[in-house]
Amino acid sequence: MASCAQEKFLRLRVLSIAFCVGALLLNASMWAAKPDSDTEWKPPKLPEAVTMKPDGAALNVVPIDRGARSDIEQAAAQIDSILEAYWNENSTKAGNRTSDHEFVRRAYLELAGRIPTINEASIFCDSNDRKKRGELIDTLLESPGYVSHFYNYWADILRLKERHERNIFFEPYMAWVKESLAENIPYDKWVYSLLTANGRIVENPATGFQLRDAGMPLAYVDNTVRVFLGTQIGCAQCHDHPFDRWTQQEFYKLAALTNGSRFSAKQVFFGGMGEASFGPSDASVNVEDAPSSNSPFKNEEDLIPNLVRLRYGMNTAIDEGKVGGGIRNFFDSSTMMLSSMDDEFRLPHDYQYDDGEPLDVVEPAVLWGKIPEFAEDEDNRARFAAWLTSHDNRQFARNIANRMWKKVMGVGLVEPIDDFQEGNIPAIPELLEHLTDEMLRLNFDLREFVRLLVSTETYQKVAVIYDPTAAEPHRYNGPALKRMTAEQLWDSLLTLIATNEWAYQRPTAQEMQTVYGIDMSTVDYEEFEQSFKNYNDYRRDLNRTRNKNCGLNGLTLVRASELPQPSGSSHLLRQFGQGDREAIETAKQSATVPQILTLFNGWMTHAMLSKGSVIYDSVSQQKTLQSAVDTIFLAILTHEPDADMRKAAEAEIKQSPNPAIGCGNLIWALLNTREFLFID
Amino acid sequence: MSHDRYAKCVEDRHSRRAILSGIASTLGVSLMSPWSHVLEAAPASKATKAKKVIYFYMGGAMSHIDTFDPKPDRPDIQGDVGVVKTKTPGIVFGEHMTNLAELQDKLAIVRSMTTETADHSKARYWLQTSYPVLNSIRHPSMGAWISNEMGKINKSLPPYVLVNSGGNGHPGAGFLDPSLTPVPVADPEKGIENTELPSYLTEAVFKRRLTLADRIDSNFRKRYAGYQLESYNQMYKDAVTLMGGADLEAFDLTKEPEDVQERYGSSQVGLGALLARRLVEHDVRFVQVDYGGWDMHNDVATNMSTKGPALDKALGALIRDLESSGLLDETLIVLASEFGRSPGINQNAGRDHHPAAFSYLLAGAGIQGGAVYGKSDEQGHGIDEDPVGITDFNSTITVACGLDPNKEHFAPNGRPFKIGGGGDPIYDVLT
Repeated sequence: MASCAQEKFLRLRVLSIAFCVGALLLNASMWAAKPDSDTEWKPPKLPEAVTMKPDGAALNVVPIDRGARSDIEQAAAQIDSILEAYWNENSTKAGNRTSDHEFVRRAYLELAGRIPTINEASIFCDSNDRKKRGELIDTLLESPGYVSHFYNYWADILRLKERHERNIFFEPYMAWVKESLAENIPYDKWVYSLLTANGRIVENPATGFQLRDAGMPLAYVDNTVRVFLGTQIGCAQCHDHPFDRWTQQEFYKLAALTNGSRFSAKQVFFGGMGEASFGPSDASVNVEDAPSSNSPFKNEEDLIPNLVRLRYGMNTAIDEGKVGGGIRNFFDSSTMMLSSMDDEFRLPHDYQYDDGEPLDVVEPAVLWGKIPEFAEDEDNRARFAAWLTSHDNRQFARNIANRMWKKVMGVGLVEPIDDFQEGNIPAIPELLEHLTDEMLRLNFDLREFVRLLVSTETYQKVAVIYDPTAAEPHRYNGPALKRMTAEQLWDSLLTLIATNEWAYQRPTAQEMQTVYGIDMSTVDYEEFEQSFKNYNDYRRDLNRTRNKNCGLNGLTLVRASELPQPSGSSHLLRQFGQGDREAIETAKQSATVPQILTLFNGWMTHAMLSKGSVIYDSVSQQKTLQSAVDTIFLAILTHEPDADMRKAAEAEIKQSPNPAIGCGNLIWALLNTREFLFID
Repeated sequence: MSHDRYAKCVEDRHSRRAILSGIASTLGVSLMSPWSHVLEAAPASKATKAKKVIYFYMGGAMSHIDTFDPKPDRPDIQGDVGVVKTKTPGIVFGEHMTNLAELQDKLAIVRSMTTETADHSKARYWLQTSYPVLNSIRHPSMGAWISNEMGKINKSLPPYVLVNSGGNGHPGAGFLDPSLTPVPVADPEKGIENTELPSYLTEAVFKRRLTLADRIDSNFRKRYAGYQLESYNQMYKDAVTLMGGADLEAFDLTKEPEDVQERYGSSQVGLGALLARRLVEHDVRFVQVDYGGWDMHNDVATNMSTKGPALDKALGALIRDLESSGLLDETLIVLASEFGRSPGINQNAGRDHHPAAFSYLLAGAGIQGGAVYGKSDEQGHGIDEDPVGITDFNSTITVACGLDPNKEHFAPNGRPFKIGGGGDPIYDVLT
């Protein structure tokens, strides 16, 4: 008896620390007996910055054109009618329309990357406005969450990571991708920038795309075609494609067109892709002999002599112990630059087909169609980009239309989405062509295109299950049930914890340029070293601010898009399938044991059950058992409990030593439902 | 770039040749010798095969000259790290390998390893997957392949554990089911993360929470019954089994007596080896232990004097313990690194990257103890005899586990892959 009472006492005391509910529901303080340091569970203390209301918007997103709403609705109806005809033909039953609470949850996750807060959900559900769904869509598409969520989507495709093995600092590129989304740069122009950017990342962040594959022209063309044209020509890198029409000759012709890039000052001025170094002998290089380039350096003729001086100064300083060896990385990264320089490209030494000899020079050519006239006199990279992004290159539009359809509906009309080929017939060809027309009509405004797709009645139907192994083809009679992406899950957990989900934001590209965008052709060594130190101080200060504002037991309570890219291998994000960013689209949504353990016992769960978390504070304010239960359901699952759920929840709370513990148990239980983890 | 193409071609050629030789044999033409293994069955084996694997990966590229392929006749190359005699006259190891020198009759040393790239991350990927880095696909690591083929032994523990899982870049399950991703143990002394309930939560309340979740979730699970939810239902069961199971103590190094911990050493590799031993004792299929810090561009002798003894101690204690418990008969031990280090000592008294020649070690189940296979040249720079590529080595592991190195497995994109990459197994080191 004594031990039982003691255990009960202990648990009650603990609950008051771990999870308190407000005064009327329970006078928890009466249980808060003397602390017992041996067994005391110490809930984490949330960093103050995340518990405070944000001041002002996290970032500015260009407003959506509200006037276009009715056009969008009409265009959406056209898509619906194509699908309805398709369902009729195939005797498919159209699903029911989602309820408001189902829709608001889906819309937030799809367009803002997280579940809605209680307040956000109730504003929507309580509204009587007949046009409220359209209004919600439009509001979300101009929210910072939209930028963050779509950044995560592209980060997985573009393989965004902090550092490249060649000491390329990718931060400005990552910031630029985010900023392009906030500015809603049309997709064709965005891709054109990625394919043609010149200079250094710090001044021209779009160079990051090609620098990601620096020194690998064949991989680069394979990646680029795969991502932007949805075609896998990679097989033809080594031999004619076994399943598709592509020959090795065609691959090389296209590669010849994308060739003509130099990736560092060394390569620009000394040629070759190799390991040329700025040794003392380099000082005698006659820079006038170097080919001209569109380099970002003001005094190009001074660059190499200056680099030699800088390198000498750097090595001396390192030897004297004045500066750490890390400055070498900074030196390398400061001379990494992309520039166009057309040169010849040859067939491989083991070329085996009759239409060419090994090592023959390859005439650059596109895969289909022709290079637009306006680009004829441009360099190879610009001609390639003009062809690829041209409105006449229908596959460019078709590919992104299919990608966005999959993003929204869960299943591409062509699957796999990067394997367009003759044998891979679209599920609904007329729909794919219609969407391609729409993409062109909207001038590659991806946000407008997403707006169109989520405004369809089809998107607003209840979810369906996509089973790739099913005998019956998928009919697209509703969006497919999806597990949240790792980032959606992280950001949703954050929503339940942090009042301010933006307590830290990564710096903008412009900020970074101000800090370390130096001109290597003019600086002297002292200035260079100062710039390196500025860079280090800047990074250190950023990390300090981040940890101070958002740090909790090794976690950083901020949106996934503001965290290091990608997260470390044992981070919750990686456990839930964030990709390692080494290959295109490596994110996964499948189950593993460590995921479950993290939801059971990880620090995000502990943080949620601690004072100051959003859900903790919301529940604490409730005055009745019923409203506490409602609050927990609304916060986590975005709906009130049905009768049976309520019965189970109330029974749990009543059987707990006090309601606070019961509420904590209920929160934990809801987090560990499939309903929480999946988007229906 | 060139290595990508080369290896991709190797992969394609292997399958192309397989078809060719298939045609050839039906026509009664003799097979082309280098690829004859493609159609030949592996030699019938009398000995038992490995049921479990402990795979040590030395990150940063371990020097072969200072460990398993010293060049005592060339002081200019040998540098300041001496040698130690092994049981077998004429075979010497680097001076820090004293325990392993005594155990040399249990080890097979491959001294003719060679790879295609001196880039850490590419070489590591190739070593761990048998395939080059490609943008279009992520290949499974050896542990994922072997766990997939051989399955779990202990149902309540994960089949595949990665110890000292600090960095990014492990290929994990590749295109296989993500449940075959190794469960990471970042710190052997902490064990597997998040398995412990907070102190306020009793076992009974934990069960009640789960029951509550199941009840509230029941409608949703009915409405969307299918493979997606089912895989989560299963993982929840697995997680609860793992947490509640007695086998979880496999991850608890404090269960080991102090003198045992001392024998393994307190280094990362010592703790990792000890944890690996506990895991194979609890029937975990594949344990990878990472031990980094081998990128000794500076002062190789000083660096070796810490890393070398730590590795030797850990591996020595592990082999001795597994032998006395009999587990060495069913456990394969592998020691590999992404490439070797240059014979020439650089101006910083270090050794630089060297992919042309290096050494690996095998021991335990399926392995011929005492074997020394292949020969580097007198400087340890190139290979004089029997070069062994990464796919040959990995195919050797495949055979040691009793798996067919020539069987094609198809990725979701329809392309065929082989466990070990379709190389030639080194039958001379296999039992």
